[in-house]
Amino acid sequence: MTEPTPTPSALLERTGTLAILRPSQHVRGLVPTAPPPEGALDLFLFLDDAGAVMAFNGHVDLGTGIRTALAQIVAEELDLPLAAVTMVLGHTGGTPNQGATIASDSIQVSAIPLRRAAAQARHHLVALAAAALGVPADELIVSDGVVHPRASGSNAGISYATLLAGRQDRLMLEDSVTLKPAGDYRIVGQRVPRVDIPAKATGAFVYVHDVRVPGMLHGRVVRPPYAGVDAGDFIGHSLIKVDEASVAHIPGLVAVVTMGDFIGVVAEREEQAAEAARCLKVEWKAPPPLPELKDLAQALRANPSTTRVLADQGDADAARAAAAIPMDRTYVWPYQMHGSIGPSCAVADVRDGQATIWSGTQNPFPLRLDISILLGIEEADIEILRFEAAGCYGRNCADDVAADAALLSRAVGRPVRVQLTREQEHAWEPKGAAQLMEVKGGLNADGTPAAYDFATSYPSNAATTLALLLTGRVPANNPVFEMGDRTAIPPYAYDNLRVKAHDMAPIVRAAWLRGVSALPNSFAHESYIDELAAAAGVDPVEYRLRYLHDPRAVDLVKEVAARASWEHHTAPRQEVVDGDVVRGQGFAYALYVHSKFPGYGAAWSAWVADVEVNKRTGDVAVKRVVVGQDSGLMINPAGIEHQIHGNVIQATSRALKEEVSFSETAVADKEWGAYPILTFPEVPVINVVLMPRPDDPPLGSGESASVPSAAAIANAIFDATGVRLREPPFTPERVRAALGNPLPPEPPAPPAKKRPWFALAGAALAGALGMAAVALPIRGAIAPITRPDPASFSADMIARGRQLAALGDCAVCHTVPGGTVNAGGRALETPYGTVYSTNLTPDPETGIGRWSYAAFERAMREGISRDGRHLYPAFPYTSFTRTSDTDLQALYAFLMSQAPVVAPTPEAKMAFPFNIRPLMAGWNTLFLRPGQMQADPARSPQWNRGAYLVESLGHCGACHTPRNLLGAEKTGAAYLAGGMVDGWEAPALTALSKAPIPWTEAELFSYLRTGFSRFHGTAAGPMAPVVEELAALPDADIRAMATYLASFSGPVPADPVAQAAALQAEATASLRPLDSLGGRLYEGACAACHAESGPTLFGVRPALALNTNVHAARPDNLIRVILDGIPKPAARDLGDMPGFRDSFDDGQVAALVRYLRAKFAPNAPAWSGVDEAVALARANPGSH
Amino acid sequence: MSLPEHAAPVSFEVNGVAHSLDLPRETRLIYVLRNDLQLNGPKFGCGLGECGACTVLVDGVAARACVLTLKSVEGRKVTTLEGLGTLDLPHPVQAAFITAQAAQCGYCLNGMIMTAAAFLSRHPAPTLDEAREALRYNLCRCGTHVEILRAVMLAAQAMGAGSTAAGAATTLEGADHD
Repeated sequence: MTEPTPTPSALLERTGTLAILRPSQHVRGLVPTAPPPEGALDLFLFLDDAGAVMAFNGHVDLGTGIRTALAQIVAEELDLPLAAVTMVLGHTGGTPNQGATIASDSIQVSAIPLRRAAAQARHHLVALAAAALGVPADELIVSDGVVHPRASGSNAGISYATLLAGRQDRLMLEDSVTLKPAGDYRIVGQRVPRVDIPAKATGAFVYVHDVRVPGMLHGRVVRPPYAGVDAGDFIGHSLIKVDEASVAHIPGLVAVVTMGDFIGVVAEREEQAAEAARCLKVEWKAPPPLPELKDLAQALRANPSTTRVLADQGDADAARAAAAIPMDRTYVWPYQMHGSIGPSCAVADVRDGQATIWSGTQNPFPLRLDISILLGIEEADIEILRFEAAGCYGRNCADDVAADAALLSRAVGRPVRVQLTREQEHAWEPKGAAQLMEVKGGLNADGTPAAYDFATSYPSNAATTLALLLTGRVPANNPVFEMGDRTAIPPYAYDNLRVKAHDMAPIVRAAWLRGVSALPNSFAHESYIDELAAAAGVDPVEYRLRYLHDPRAVDLVKEVAARASWEHHTAPRQEVVDGDVVRGQGFAYALYVHSKFPGYGAAWSAWVADVEVNKRTGDVAVKRVVVGQDSGLMINPAGIEHQIHGNVIQATSRALKEEVSFSETAVADKEWGAYPILTFPEVPVINVVLMPRPDDPPLGSGESASVPSAAAIANAIFDATGVRLREPPFTPERVRAALGNPLPPEPPAPPAKKRPWFALAGAALAGALGMAAVALPIRGAIAPITRPDPASFSADMIARGRQLAALGDCAVCHTVPGGTVNAGGRALETPYGTVYSTNLTPDPETGIGRWSYAAFERAMREGISRDGRHLYPAFPYTSFTRTSDTDLQALYAFLMSQAPVVAPTPEAKMAFPFNIRPLMAGWNTLFLRPGQMQADPARSPQWNRGAYLVESLGHCGACHTPRNLLGAEKTGAAYLAGGMVDGWEAPALTALSKAPIPWTEAELFSYLRTGFSRFHGTAAGPMAPVVEELAALPDADIRAMATYLASFSGPVPADPVAQAAALQAEATASLRPLDSLGGRLYEGACAACHAESGPTLFGVRPALALNTNVHAARPDNLIRVILDGIPKPAARDLGDMPGFRDSFDDGQVAALVRYLRAKFAPNAPAWSGVDEAVALARANPGSH
Repeated sequence: MSLPEHAAPVSFEVNGVAHSLDLPRETRLIYVLRNDLQLNGPKFGCGLGECGACTVLVDGVAARACVLTLKSVEGRKVTTLEGLGTLDLPHPVQAAFITAQAAQCGYCLNGMIMTAAAFLSRHPAPTLDEAREALRYNLCRCGTHVEILRAVMLAAQAMGAGSTAAGAATTLEGADHD
């Protein structure tokens, strides 16, 4: 299914057609658009002599099904089958400007002219048929587009298509058209399947994300550090420098585009653009701090505002002063996200002063104006082709990314597709605003409400399209919108009523989100009346009905209460279900009143929520929601029911889980762990009660059912616990705090920073080497030779050498990422400076082409280069020295038979005194123990084979043995007792291992062979390439290594399977997915692949309760795997782990690391220094 | 690190068709499916394996194409939404999603269908709670969960194992459903 994009001018040139037109209107909405040109006409309906019927509407389908509902309306009035009507939605070049798709207006408002157009067309066609058939019009009927006399059942009918042959009828839309009476409806009011779902379910639907145009390039943007902030002098003026050289190495890169604070990259391929955006080094000014947003009430009170009085009747001040029970209450709503599942995407083609934009915008016409301002070209030269996108629910980044694509396309002169990252969508989408609702009131002695003095503060505007601000085209002056007034007037007849809106500018980037300001306002209204009822000792539903006088509201409230088996109660019941779990029922009602004040109503809605609360843990479960709605005439009851389900689930998610958190300067939540939404197991049973009102006008249904949500849940929690929550989300932390339960202890404060060990080591080494060096000569060069002919080595020998090279991991260090194998040049960070691996290919000038075997052997056994220079012991010659002669010869044969590559080795950058290579002679005297490996006759041949592989070319100890202050491997009991390499901990392979289940030969074999042990985890960091290389060795050698290494291990566990199961079960039972930042991050970011009971996914499922890194003495490996994932797994069966470097900030990583340690290694002590370790790992990514 | 075999093209099968592509092995599968093979079913949602919108089947097992690399699928069979079934001949899970009208915006739909298909192939007669757990790590923002669960239970029924499934489906909305 492809979005239809006909051009009205082309359609109107055709004969055999009927069109209904209307003069274009100037839409003055929240989002301004320019007036239309003089004499311009909008096309509403088009029919032709081939049977095509196209209906045009300026609104767009946001996944709510209005495409289907609008087609139903048109088909009904035209007496056509539903399938005959094609809807064209939201293209600036083809559809009428009907403003932004907001406020649930598509059916209630935008459909009205379309319905009239269809009726008018039908009257016109019937009149044509009357003339053709010679029968009076009032004796004709239409069925399925064929007009025929009412009386006869003959073939006298004539089709619309036939009637239009040769005609070119152009009618102006009339204001008064006789519409079909509701009693005659055949299509409207029926449960009709949505027209788009079959294509969506089979991959045939084309979303904006799927638009591809010829010659299209891919773009990504790099956003400033003030994520989610769009007001202030620094906006558009914070960029210091872009280092284009930092991405010069990326293949396919076409351009880096910079304008003010706007930065984008363009590349041939999407992953190239993504990589360029990730790698681009940008220097920014530090953004200014945000106001403290942890205390939202205070932040909103402090935000400058102007006050509008929306209602003032009776004497609220006097009545409150006289109240028997004064009740002043404060309700606070958090910042929340729209949370589109698909990051926004657009394609733009800007060339020769013209722009075509393929966009998922909710506001095609306002976007066209934005693009016009941004690019400085006329609106008439811009076409917005609207394609469906991921659900939006207000205002996501769809417009932002369209503008981004336009800038990038203009810069490169080709079409560019841009998709935002998940992190950008989360951080930059205009948030649903926080809101403060303050009530001053109370109860009279007779239980009646004394006064309701209500004030609401809503810091939000329309969120100017970002590129306009980043480029400085539009000043970031943070306009104030009057939008906090939606449903600000309570639905209850309070005698002494005052309602005020404190209009204020945003604090962070914010715009409308489903139930715009009305959901929070109703949360206050519906919580407060519940508080009044409780104070008066009256049932909450009964109390509401005393003051609710709208008859449709009363009908709905009664019906929903009855259908929910509402249990009459006059005080919170705190009914115990089981142990700590109590249950409760809560009621709330709202008529969603929206648009410019005083606005008008969409559908009526009422909720009964049943909850269970665990008083010990604070967990809240919404078990069932009975939700009623009066939508007037229901065009498509199935669609309305679907919208109600969606509203209930999304609003329950918002009430229970959702709250944006902020760093000191920006939005902190950049993925679904930090900002979780409701999951399948949490979805309540939903019973929908639809009020039949076929004779009343249809009402918007896209938002109404969300409005009573939070209050109904809060009221149910009150019934369950007797405790009143006035600030969503109702997380376990909040519920426990309200119940006065002790909170879990805070994580320990980080200890003071210590001087790193290598700083001490450096000082010591300087002294030791200083003394040693003077006594030792510099070694001589070995004469160069002509490169030996590879044919002089046997194929067997070369093959064996290839295997030995793999065992020795030569290529791991001697190859730069993406470079030629063994050509050297890889930087190796050591505590003493950076060394670069050498070129091991037989190039005569830059490689080892002129090395004789003697020179090679000396290097391998003594660490001396052919020219006599000392090699640094980053090259593990202290292990290699133990290799047998025959193996060294085979290795030489292999290296010499490689293709030579010219690749000079960069100079090492070592700190003094380590930059004096001859000093290494002293080091060798101290630590090099030359000599080949000798077999231990007391041990099995297999053990001896393993010992040889591990201790010689395998050089396991190079990483796994701790080093002394001079950087040499320790010996004796310290052998294989664990070391550090490139920021990674190489865990102890001895009984000192922290693994909860000791290593066995079988698990070592599995790990070395496959990269995974079910009891220990996955090879990561520097170990992943080691395992990958070991693939060249036969099973027998891997088995031998396992045998040898297992001999260092602790006692063999009796029943490791049972032990593993017990550890996992204990950890799983302790998880608290909604509690604490760490818990949420684990559940949202890790659990899909790591949870014991998670879905079966390709690859291994490492159990964190058994994972060596989680049990290690230091958090480094865990931190590094979280930051950078496992980019190159050891084997293709493992699956891939992504890194979260760009998704989590340091605080989030630390919170996750602490949570994982506490839950999955409950018997290990908490790590200290986590924050420092995270910062260090982020700053020093290493080369693995 | 670049090992010798990395220079060779990557061969794998997608929806029954063999492909050999000369691309780096660390390329994420989703880009290749969408851009090189023009398969729009898998959607980019998070790039972190969190939301499931990109789900495909690799040798019949659900996999998140936004994190999976070409290296991981080398020599394997990949199935996308398009390969599961077509408009004319939908897979029973696709047919059930259409019947149950289990989409609003539909962006997550690919992941829901692919995950459900993989799940039902291993658990042909799940309980409703098992279906909820199976989809726990597939995110939907529109709130289509009720219709999606109904679709999964319908599919289980249609695929021939569903008396318990049919029974469970009714508890989704209780008896009071209009």
